[in-house]
Parts: sequence; structure tokens; C-alpha cells
Amino acid sequence: MKLKICRFVTLAAFSAMVMAAQPLHAAKIHVVATLTDLADLTRQVGGDHVDVFSLATGIEDTHGVPMKPSFVPVLNRADLVVLVGFDCEHAFLPALLEASKNPRNQLGKSGYVDCSRGVVPMEVPKSTDHSEGDVHPYGNPHYMLDPVLAKTAVQNIYNALVATAPEYEADFTRNRDAYLAKLDAKIAEWQQLAAPLKGVKFVSYHEHWPYFASWLGMDYVGTIELKPGVDPTPRHITDLIAEMKAEHVPIVVREPQFPEKVPALIAKETGATLVKLPIMPGGVPNTGTYIEEMDYIVHSLVNALKK
Amino acid sequence: MKLKTILGLSSALCLCATSAPAQSETNEVEQLKQQLRQMQENFEKTQNEQRRQIEALTKKLDELTSQRQAAVATAPPVAVTTNQFNALNEKVDQIADAQKKTLPSEFNPSIGLVGETIFSYRSKSSDATGGDRPGGFDVFQRSLELNVAASVDPFAKGYAVINASADSATGEATMGVEEAALQTTSLPGNLELKAGRFFGEFGRLAYIHDHELPFVNRPLALDEYIGGESQSDGAQLNWLPPIPHYVSATVGVGDNFGGDSPNPDHPGNFRAFDGLNFWGRLSTYFDLTPNWQLEAGVSGLWNPKEQNRGGFDAFTGSGGNPVTERERRLAGVDFKFSYVPLQNNQFRSFTWGTELLFSDNRYLADPDGSLAGSSPVYSGDEFNRRIGSLGGYTYMSYKWSRQWSAGFLFDYAQSPENFSAETLEYSPFVTFALSHWNQLRLQYTHTSPNAASGLKADDAIYLQWAWIIGAHSHGWQQR
Repeated sequence: MKLKICRFVTLAAFSAMVMAAQPLHAAKIHVVATLTDLADLTRQVGGDHVDVFSLATGIEDTHGVPMKPSFVPVLNRADLVVLVGFDCEHAFLPALLEASKNPRNQLGKSGYVDCSRGVVPMEVPKSTDHSEGDVHPYGNPHYMLDPVLAKTAVQNIYNALVATAPEYEADFTRNRDAYLAKLDAKIAEWQQLAAPLKGVKFVSYHEHWPYFASWLGMDYVGTIELKPGVDPTPRHITDLIAEMKAEHVPIVVREPQFPEKVPALIAKETGATLVKLPIMPGGVPNTGTYIEEMDYIVHSLVNALKK
Repeated sequence: MKLKTILGLSSALCLCATSAPAQSETNEVEQLKQQLRQMQENFEKTQNEQRRQIEALTKKLDELTSQRQAAVATAPPVAVTTNQFNALNEKVDQIADAQKKTLPSEFNPSIGLVGETIFSYRSKSSDATGGDRPGGFDVFQRSLELNVAASVDPFAKGYAVINASADSATGEATMGVEEAALQTTSLPGNLELKAGRFFGEFGRLAYIHDHELPFVNRPLALDEYIGGESQSDGAQLNWLPPIPHYVSATVGVGDNFGGDSPNPDHPGNFRAFDGLNFWGRLSTYFDLTPNWQLEAGVSGLWNPKEQNRGGFDAFTGSGGNPVTERERRLAGVDFKFSYVPLQNNQFRSFTWGTELLFSDNRYLADPDGSLAGSSPVYSGDEFNRRIGSLGGYTYMSYKWSRQWSAGFLFDYAQSPENFSAETLEYSPFVTFALSHWNQLRLQYTHTSPNAASGLKADDAIYLQWAWIIGAHSHGWQQR
């Protein structure tokens, strides 16, 4: 009996030693991305070494992802949380992170991967007074709609993955370089395709497009929202229609999470073409990846201009 | 001749006298023109120089970009290009950080102010309704809440809610600390400890501030059994079990529970351990579909020996006997069934929330009232009584645009001291949110107490105007 106990204890101790000797990240790195574009970029860089969960499915508003308690256990186990930054996720992420009780991923900790690091923000408000609506104090957070800036996000994700699992650095580097090469080729293709869009004026429902407009040289005239997060008033709609007519604005962009009624009315009144554009992968069908999403956006705008 | 000569000379003299300034003006104009030409030339020269510099920098930037693209396309990456890229990244980071620099100080600590005014008309006087506000027309500054929060250190955050409201009797503003607590942020084992004054976690809406309720007034059952908000001076521990399914477990202890419980908190000379209040809550959540959610929870509150708090607070119970609360027992079950569409939840949603409470308090009946005086005396006629009572509320709320929502609240409570005394209320309400920080709510409430309660039926209309300035967080509890 004693011998059996000794054998069992020895076997258990040996098993424990073997388990302890395993590399830190023999299992996959658990990553939670707030939005689908970041989830896609993380999969591209992390490859088989990552298990990525996206809080958004793609059809949500970037500021309105529901705060589901089912996200909490996922965040609790996550090694990394990849986010847009610039306060983009302020309506849901801080509370979720607090509820998740995961010290690794709190603001400022190593697991908190802010992809805006290195991005020069546009539209940094001079004041955060609410008379300007629900402004983002660090600047407009929708830089992922500029694929050149998305490369900065790729680099930030790469840095975080290497810091988490340095043993896979070679794989991450290979994946990153391959993806950046693919993205660069697509950027060149999109820029060529979108040449007719240069100087073209457009309006959108929410202020999603300043980085995109800057990238392609488009003229972003204004938004249907009165201020960020504030619905338009009848006077604002009237003024916007007058401005669009005066400036011959040919395109109205509606993001899928906003109601169609007012954008359709404005398009009808001004003779502009109404285009529904996703703000992240999955926002409309057949846009599962970041490249597919940007493909869809550029082609849709070019086609809208032909109408 | 002489005259002609004189005239001629004088004329010449005059001409000379008038043409001299004209000559000097002409020279000055010429000089100015020359200066202008010189400045234009200099300006063009500078402009050309700057253009050349811009072109050179642009060319250099293009070269660097193309070098980098080439480096990405052809493996292995060139070290020099990577270094240049990193240096460029660092510069950009510095610019970005510089732009962020002033902002964190603006929110450290984050400070917000919430104001809430209630305009109302009640058909009966406060004698008939038992309310703490007069009947007829009334304007009530229910609260002015100052919210302050910040990290204390890497291990904890602190927050305080200071509330000023108009005293119901005098109308004077009274200020009080609603909450002031420290909350850990990095305890091991998925634990979180809160200590100080805070709203203890019991049920669904007891720990929600008035202005965050989905309707104007706190449900009757919460007022009757908890005593308004679930305020406590104590400590609370929350645990998130390390399992894939969401479960939250909370236990707490404090020397009081509820803002104005039926038996006011008499600290007395000495409080034994069983004189404290103990509470707990277990809640979970299910994604029924991507758009439909269900949250459910059970809660319990126990104060084993209320008399240990000292003093006696006798009131007349059923049968006309003066009774004193000795032991407080409260259990609750709640659920929230909600439709939160992923795509447009800011514009459309539906919530059905319900909470049922069962009070099972122990009382000491005192037929001769000897315990009610200033020097309580046990006269021997006292006996224990157990009174069970039920209460609860259910509400539905539908949002059909970013600004508009409407709902219906049904509310019922038996008195915890006398279960025969029942009150029933129903309240349709409509909410107009001008923005996220500015909201109006109109509510009609019909209150129907039964005869045993000694109160009279009442109709009321409320208009609530709530606003927020400064920092405003989207908290987990308010989700």
C-alpha cells in the first residue's frame, strides 16, 4: 500500500514538473479585440498562435457595443485586450474591464493594447464641453478607415504579441511582413481605383470619415448628426440640404447602424447618391476581413460617383 | 519791359517753388516702388527656397516610403529602413503624446454633477397619501449629485457621491454623503473589495441612484423593505468564479442597510456582531440570441438582532399592539429580459424587468406599550411575532428612437409590519432624451392603498428633468 502511495506521489510530482517545464504559451494566446477590424488584424499577425474573440460582430456602432455580461468571463481569461483607443470604446470597455477583474488588461498594463499609439489624431477638440456633443477628448477615433494608419495598428498588435510570447517572434514577424506587403499592394490598388474620388464632396451620418477622406483627398463636408451622438434637428437638416445643394455634394454616406430615413430624405432632396458603407468588417455582407471591408468601401464610392 | 521781366522772373520763381516738392514726391514714389520690387523679389526668392526644401523633403519621404515598401516586399527586412521607420514612429508618438498631455489632468479626478427636478401634481394631501411631499402642485429639487472618482493608486480606486436635496419639511437644502468608498482593482482570485459608505448590492434597482431609474420614483417594495436606496456603511466582497459562464457572487456586511429603514439606526452603547446587517447576491446571465438577453439573480438580507442597535421604536401593528422590529429578514428574486439589437441598440430596445421581495421580519409585540417610553420596561406581556409580507414590481420599457421611449410600471407592496396593509400602483411613463445628458420624463401614477393601510387612493402626474454636466461614466451596474 505504502509503495502504491509512493508511486502515485512520484508520478504526480513528475507530471507537475513536466507541466511546469512547458513553454509559457504552449497554449494559444487569448486575445479579445473590441472591434472586428482589430480582430482580423490580430488573426493575420498571430496566425495559429492566437485565439481571437471580438466583442463586436461588425454590425454594431463602434461606440455602442452592448455591455453583455457574457463578455466578462472571456475578458477575465484574456491575455491581451486589443482596442482602437482615442476613447472610442468609452461607452462599454472601461466598465467591462472593471467587471472582468483581470489585472493584466487594465488601462496602462501590459495586456492593454491601445492600437492608436503612433497615430496622429485628427479633430482633437479644444474643449470637451458637451455643447459640442459626445466629443472624444483625444481626437477622432476612426483612424482604422485609413488603411495606411491601419498599418500602425498592425505594428502595435505585433509588438504586444511579441512581448507576450517572444518564442513565436519569428512567426509573428513573418505574418506581419506578409500582411503588410499584401495591404500595401491593396493600398496602391485602392488609391489608383479611387483617383476619381479626389476632391469629391460627401456627407455622412456620424463623423466616421475624416481619416478616410484625408487618405483619398476627398472633401468631407459635414454630418447628418447635429453633433457627435446628438440627433439632427429639423433646422440642421434644412441647413445641411441647403449647403449640399450650394456645394453640389454628390454623395451621402449612411453607416448601417444608423436609421435610413433622414439620410434617404437628404439624398432625395439634394439629388445625391445614398451609399451604405460599413465601418468595420462584417458591417455589410461579404466584408469579413479588413481588406474586404476597405475593398467594399472604395468600390461602393467609386460606383456611386458614376451614377 | 521791366515789368515783363519782373513778372517772368516771379513766375519762374513760383514754378520752381511749386515744382520742387513735386520732384521730391516723385523720387519718393520711385524709391517705394523700388523697395516693393526688392521685397517681392526677396519674397519670391524665399518662397522658391521653401518650395525647393518642401520638394526635397517630399522626395526624401517618398524615397523612405518606397524603400520601406521594397524592404517589406523583399525579405529579409533592411535594418536601416526598420530603424528609420522606428525613429519616425517615435517622432509621431511624441507628437501624439504632446497632444494628449493636457487632457488627463482635466479628468483626474473625474468630476460630474447631476441635477434632478421633479414637477408634480398629486390629487390628495400628504396626510391621505402618507407621502413626504405635499399634495397639489409641487416643485421638488430631488437631488443635486456631485460625483467624484479617481484611482487611488495602482491597487484601488476611490469615489464619492455627495448629494444635496431639498428637505421635505423645510425646503432647505441638506447635504449628505450618499456614497464614499474605496474599491480594489487588483485583488487576486477574481475578488473585488469595496469598503466605506456605498449602495449594497441587493436586487436589481436598490443600488441605482434615483436619476438612473427607468421611471420617476423608486418602486414601493424597495421603499417598504429596503428603505429607499440600499445605502450601507460597511464592506462588500464580490467574486467572479473562474468559469466560462457569467456568475457574480457578492457578500456584504454593514451596520445599516437602506436609507430610511422602518426601524431607524440607533447605534446605542455597544453593537454585538449579530447587530450588523449581512447581505448577499448571486446573479447570472444568458445570451438567448445575439439580440435577446436574460439576467437573473437572488438576494438576501439578514439583521439577526435589531434590538442590539439599542433603543426601541415601537409602532402599532396589526391588532393594535405596539410592536418593535427585532430581526430583519428579506429575500428577493429578480430578472431582466431585454432586447438589445446589436446593430441599432441606440435607437431601439426593449426591457422587461421584475423583482419580487419577501420580508420575514421578527417583531416583539408589546400590548401595554411599556417598551415605547423613554425608559423601556419589560412588563411581562411581551411576545414574539413573525410577519411575512410580499412586494414587488414589474416594468416594461420600449425605445423606438434615440430620443423617445415609453413604458409601464406595475407596483405592489404589503407593509412589512402589517401584511394586511396593501398598496398598489400603476404608472405609464414616456421619456424624451434631448441628448445623452439631458432628459425629460412624464409619468402618471395611480396609487390605490387598501382600507387596512389607512391611506387614500391618489392620482399624480410627475415631470422629471434630469441633467448631467462634467464627467459621466457608463457604469457596470447601470447597464
